[in-house]
Amino acid sequence: MILVVLDHDGNKLRKASLEALTRARKLSEAFGEGVAGVLLAEGQAPVEEARAYVETLYVAELGPYTAEKWAAGILEAAKAGVKAIVAPSSRQSRTYMGRVAYALKAGLLEDTLESWAEGGEVYATRYAYLNRVTQKVKTAPPVVLTVKPNTTPLAEPLGQAGQVVALPIPPVPTVEVLERVQEEKKGVSLTEANVVVTGGRGMGGPEAFKEAEELAALLGGAVGATRAVVDAGWRPYSEQVGQTGKTVQPSLYIALGVSGAVQHLAGMNKSKYIVAVNKDPEAPIFKHADYGIVGDVHQVLPALIQAVKKLKD
Amino acid sequence: MPIDFSLTEEQRQLQALARRFAKEVILPVAQEYDEKEEVPWPVIEKLHEVGLLNAIIPEEYGGMGLKMLDEVIVGEELAYACMGIYTIPMASDLGITPVLLAGNEEQKRRFLKPLTEKPALAAFALSEPGNGSDAAALKTRAVRQGDYYILNGTKMWISNGGEAEWVVVFATLNPELRHKGVVALVVEKGTPGFSAVKIHGKMGQRASGTYELVFEEVKVPVQNRLGEEGEGFKIAMNTLNKTRIPVAAGSVGVARRALDEAKKYAKEREAFGQPIAGFQAIQFKLADMMIGIETARMYTYYAAWLADQGLPHAHASAIAKAYASEIAFEAANQAIQIHGGYGYVREFPVEKLLRDVKLNQIYEGTNEIQRLIIARHLLAE
Amino acid sequence: MKFVAVIRQVPDGESRLRIQGDRVDLSGATLILDQMDEYGVEEALRLKEKHGGEAIVVGFGPERAEEAIRTALAMGMDRGIHVVYEGYADPVTVAEALAPILREESPTLILTGGQQADWDSQALGGALAEALGMPVVAWTTALELEGETARAKHDLDEGAEWVRVRLPAVFTTQQGLNEPRYPTLPGIMKAKKKEIKKVAFQGASRVEILQESIQEKTRLQKILDGKDPVAAAEELVRLLHEEAKVI
Repeated sequence: MILVVLDHDGNKLRKASLEALTRARKLSEAFGEGVAGVLLAEGQAPVEEARAYVETLYVAELGPYTAEKWAAGILEAAKAGVKAIVAPSSRQSRTYMGRVAYALKAGLLEDTLESWAEGGEVYATRYAYLNRVTQKVKTAPPVVLTVKPNTTPLAEPLGQAGQVVALPIPPVPTVEVLERVQEEKKGVSLTEANVVVTGGRGMGGPEAFKEAEELAALLGGAVGATRAVVDAGWRPYSEQVGQTGKTVQPSLYIALGVSGAVQHLAGMNKSKYIVAVNKDPEAPIFKHADYGIVGDVHQVLPALIQAVKKLKD
Repeated sequence: MPIDFSLTEEQRQLQALARRFAKEVILPVAQEYDEKEEVPWPVIEKLHEVGLLNAIIPEEYGGMGLKMLDEVIVGEELAYACMGIYTIPMASDLGITPVLLAGNEEQKRRFLKPLTEKPALAAFALSEPGNGSDAAALKTRAVRQGDYYILNGTKMWISNGGEAEWVVVFATLNPELRHKGVVALVVEKGTPGFSAVKIHGKMGQRASGTYELVFEEVKVPVQNRLGEEGEGFKIAMNTLNKTRIPVAAGSVGVARRALDEAKKYAKEREAFGQPIAGFQAIQFKLADMMIGIETARMYTYYAAWLADQGLPHAHASAIAKAYASEIAFEAANQAIQIHGGYGYVREFPVEKLLRDVKLNQIYEGTNEIQRLIIARHLLAE
Repeated sequence: MKFVAVIRQVPDGESRLRIQGDRVDLSGATLILDQMDEYGVEEALRLKEKHGGEAIVVGFGPERAEEAIRTALAMGMDRGIHVVYEGYADPVTVAEALAPILREESPTLILTGGQQADWDSQALGGALAEALGMPVVAWTTALELEGETARAKHDLDEGAEWVRVRLPAVFTTQQGLNEPRYPTLPGIMKAKKKEIKKVAFQGASRVEILQESIQEKTRLQKILDGKDPVAAAEELVRLLHEEAKVI
């Protein structure tokens, strides 16, 4: 069996889950094994949507997320024996899949760009050295593989709904969630967004980010921030792009008032197109930009919003 | 002893610490303090915190007992970020060295220990308004009066002079005796009659405080005399023979910075359709810088090694200081040349390198004096 | 109490990397204690300073990694254990190598970096926790001990949460957890007298690296003058729409 972890927001599958499905199906062809899905939920889960993609769907409602519960749920689903487990890559999944990989003594291929099977082994490419180096790696089954978002075509539904199997809830009472510091959901998640609008210290303060949000919303994207910005408390840490933040690879990355420190580049240098706006023509970010405007963010950003609105009309 | 060019594990750690300190603490503020012409106390406090301030003080007096080789390793790194700021701890070591060389047990405990307990500096006062290189011609007078010396005169160009907890002042008991009449006295901050006037408008090294020190009927206890009467000149020279080596190390740091900046710019800047680093005219300049840096560093290490072994090192420290400061000045000069117009403005760091490192050719004995020392050494045989 | 920081030595993010024979060549790179692991060292030290006990650094990597262990000792860790292993190892294998040592030490808690700066893995914390049968709290930004348990704040994919976790547990670090101290000069001097126990690891990585390459994307570098912000913005939007076709 090839097991695919279907991540979701309670209502809908994440786009990255459909990418993981595509990868799982590819492995299933090579190994001649069926694809089963596992849908773990804190509460509500998009069961109907999910079962349209797999022959068998393991489902469990586990309450507040902990890496232990998620790992235990996946291992429970994998009990029937797996050649590979595929999951969309996220901070959370990369933690609980570490547990899963150890439990199965599996070869762990993290945050892969592509993956394929050949001669009974699984190959993948992935970034290393803070996104600067591309590695080609291989391992033998059982394989645990996470899929970097925005790398893979989305899977289509199968045409007939799969069988739903309820998983027994594994008892792992070691972590108690006290308080969730929920950040208000602002449309698309940063790592999956096709467009990311990031503000740096050059934004001057938290106020200017309202306009960054507006531009991101117009483009159907998400807002990002640099380390300096989150350190200053202008934006939450979850929006940080870079070495210690999130790694993004959107089609369009717009860097506003971002100088382009190596640590930041590590989180976005694989974006398809990079746009930089900075008043300092010597800012290193321009060396990594496809398009740029040398100018004051406070003037350019409103003008950009107007220009995009004009285009949409 | 066999030749071994490798650093020990601790020296590599020390280098890593100094490099990180330079990058994270000094570099971000170097330009600011250069512009303000102000002493960066937060940096000095942080130097103390990590143990890099006054670290040549032996462990028995609360210091780290850094050897000269350790000190030059640190010096190169700190000066890479800012020569002016490096001059502050360097000049403090200059003040400490005469106490180490000639102080008695009681003096070492009294003067050195406090410098390890808080961020504090020492200073060394030899030059005067009317004489620098001709050190034996000093005019500051010390007159013995019972348990005191009465000190009168003026000292010039004294780094840390206004900040220091105490200053080693060289004065004459009898000008006619020239160098044989010199006495070294430790004058503590706040002693009545002792005042310091900051010298403004310096070309470079503006983050280090340079002072004119005035002594008017200053009473200095005899217990503050280093060595015997008449030994002051020898103490001063033996001090400088050592402390010129860190000047050389600082110069290497500046030269390395100049090369890094020039290299970066040459790879980015395009002319005639290619990065200027592709032109031989630029490549040769970069290669010359590298030749200077590598040779100056090696020789500086050698001079430091001689000092640490207790071997004669006066000529070697003179060669290291003169050579390193000259290759560094030239490296800074060529870095500006490579930057063209951009090298001449403050947005780019290279003009500061030249302004700063010019002083390395002047202080702790001008390079002309260094050549005199070298020539004396080679003709003495 | 016993606090363990698991660390590795990695190239400085600003070091230039080269490829030699299909592999990253680190000979010219500055190698440092992984900055994410450094948060773990700092946190172990703070916990020890507050609650007493011992702070131990456990390093995994080739001989040269001893330098990173020394750095942690110079920061104040009490002693070191070095699991010597040349070359790449996947996180499951690393966890296998470390598990027996950590089991023997039986620490109050274990800290390690949220992500490795060389192999870009985020799984070591999870794998170690599984190996030791402990819970894991990933991307920790705050940590306090409360008797047999710890209260911690950690990042989720979206947002963050406070959790209470039974000890012993594994925590992976996130920026914001603390501001690591410098390895001071007195610390460096003391570190040379501290013990580093060497342990050989005979296992082999499950994942094999076949090739490494550096593919720098050539950027178009069309930089517009923003003196007239409206005109520049319109031209940029036109380029993104017509040329790049991304909006």
